[in-house]
Amino acid sequence: MDNILLQGTGLIKDYGTVQKTRALFGIDIILKRGEFASLIGPSGCGKSTLLSILGTLDKPTEGQLFFNGLEINKMTEDELALFRNKSIGFVFQAHHLLPEFTALENVLIPSWIESGKADVKKKERAIELLNTVGLGERMNNPANNLSGGQQQRVSIARALINEPDLILADEPTGNLDSEATEQAYALLRDINKMMGTAFLIVTHDRHIAEKSDRVIEMLDGKIQKDYQTASKEKEALWNELAPKNCKYCYGSKI
Amino acid sequence: MSYELKIALRFLIKGKSQTIFILFGIALGVAVQIFLGNLITSLQVSLIDRTIGNSPQIVVTRQDDDISLMLNASPIDTIRGNYPSLVRNLENWQPAAETIAATKDVTVVSPALQGTAIIRSSGKTVPVQVKGIQLDKGDLIYNITKRLTSGNPVLEGNTIFIGTSLAKDLGIAVNSGLNLLLPNGSTAHMIVGGIFDLQNESSNSSLVIMDLARAQKLYGTASGITALEIQVKDPFAADAISASLLKTVPGVSIKNWKEQNGQLLIALTSQSSSSYTIQLFVIIAVTFGIASVLAVSVVQKSKQIGILKAMGATKKSAARIFIYEGFILGLLGAIAGSGLGVLLLAGFGSANTTFALTVDPKSVLLIVFISVAAGTISALIPARNSSELNPMEAINNG
Repeated sequence: MDNILLQGTGLIKDYGTVQKTRALFGIDIILKRGEFASLIGPSGCGKSTLLSILGTLDKPTEGQLFFNGLEINKMTEDELALFRNKSIGFVFQAHHLLPEFTALENVLIPSWIESGKADVKKKERAIELLNTVGLGERMNNPANNLSGGQQQRVSIARALINEPDLILADEPTGNLDSEATEQAYALLRDINKMMGTAFLIVTHDRHIAEKSDRVIEMLDGKIQKDYQTASKEKEALWNELAPKNCKYCYGSKI
Repeated sequence: MSYELKIALRFLIKGKSQTIFILFGIALGVAVQIFLGNLITSLQVSLIDRTIGNSPQIVVTRQDDDISLMLNASPIDTIRGNYPSLVRNLENWQPAAETIAATKDVTVVSPALQGTAIIRSSGKTVPVQVKGIQLDKGDLIYNITKRLTSGNPVLEGNTIFIGTSLAKDLGIAVNSGLNLLLPNGSTAHMIVGGIFDLQNESSNSSLVIMDLARAQKLYGTASGITALEIQVKDPFAADAISASLLKTVPGVSIKNWKEQNGQLLIALTSQSSSSYTIQLFVIIAVTFGIASVLAVSVVQKSKQIGILKAMGATKKSAARIFIYEGFILGLLGAIAGSGLGVLLLAGFGSANTTFALTVDPKSVLLIVFISVAAGTISALIPARNSSELNPMEAINNG
């Protein structure tokens, strides 16, 4: 049981008050420490909704969520904010750096939020992380002066600054070309191995899903399949990651 | 520095044109307030000073009527015979003066005797008003010694002070002699000890000031006087003080400047209220200006706020960023505006010589404080919007 990082049981999410639309139909999910998992499924199947609930950015209508044995549902908003700051890193599709700040400052922001002060206590770690993502030389560039791939790497460094247990990534390579995608994946994987950070990555990219430890496939607000990639033959796996789930079926965008 | 402040500052710096426009707007509003406020205050101070600054604010006289008229008619008969009560009242003015002087907020009590006379000098005849005072007390009201253009500030015996215009009319200088023809027909020879300029043509051309004792002798009133002249700490409290004097000093007529300057008071009050109204609307406009800029800013920065929240910024922090922005805008705008306002006042002051334009630092500080408060208050609604922002929606829609 100690190995369990995150556990969601019976997660239901309804949208709307009068005309209710159910986005999640009782999801049960367990993520283990250091796991590298992909969350796939067609658009609108509830992947992003599940990701925001697991990341405590959204509350489930019903169901329970535990993180490191803590019951997340019972926390106040401020406690949740503190929890997110320390335990979860986010990487979004559209990079989402703060354009008003430099690359280095963007990486430092979660540490500022942690201490409440705009300090440079974690500057060394931030520089180290920027070096890890290959942007050490550009750390003083304004964020909006970087290419899409570079911005995504900065946002990965930012997600890591407070040494979270889990990184939730929503289509982190969605806006990147194939080379940058490959680099970003390699980076995430390296971090996963080096730091033991768990990853849950929403992706439409068959190549990334294929290389994960585990694939969770969703359909219509339910988990359809959940398996370890090692359990399948390469070809079977490739076919399993069906075209309906992945845009990049043949190595290029359809 | 708290990180919210750092983010607020960075948002303001990076939103250059927006920040500069609103700062300019605030500065202009503050400048108008400071300029208008100090202009009106200076104008009123000068008006009040002119009207009552160097004159008694409360005058205690005999109850029934005009004394100088009586003195003009036939002073000796009047005082000695026909009006015994009057003589008694005015002869016993010392205890009343002491009571009045002991009254709270009364600063000066000066006995005065006023009468008319005619000056004859080098063939000219000029009617004048004679005022007998005790120089040490009267000076506190009329400030004569400081306003002597020549001569010595000593008033005793046959010495008199006359105004500049009168001296010019008569063609006489300090230490010249002149003859004073009194209503009772007698003539007194006086010496001009000083020439004053009271910045008032009627005083300068027809007022003759002499020692009270001398005047009493000339007019034969013994120790009687015609009035007790009073100045008080706050001229605007003159009516309240004179009302309280009526109780402690019975049997006399007490008049204060407010009764006699109703028009001026109305003018002052309406001037003040129109100035306050303008200032109020300026501050409202400034507040709405800051609020709308910040409201737009929250929408513009919603993506950033969403990310900050996803990274663990609390609702309070998200609100604080905009409170800081409002505070900083208010403060910087107020500082720039104070500078501009004082500059405007200096420019206007150098062009205008009709009254002294003074800048009251307290009023400037007050307006700066109000502006900072307005900035902070105007940030409240945008800050609430920021704190209520759903991070997921902000990120997805950004």
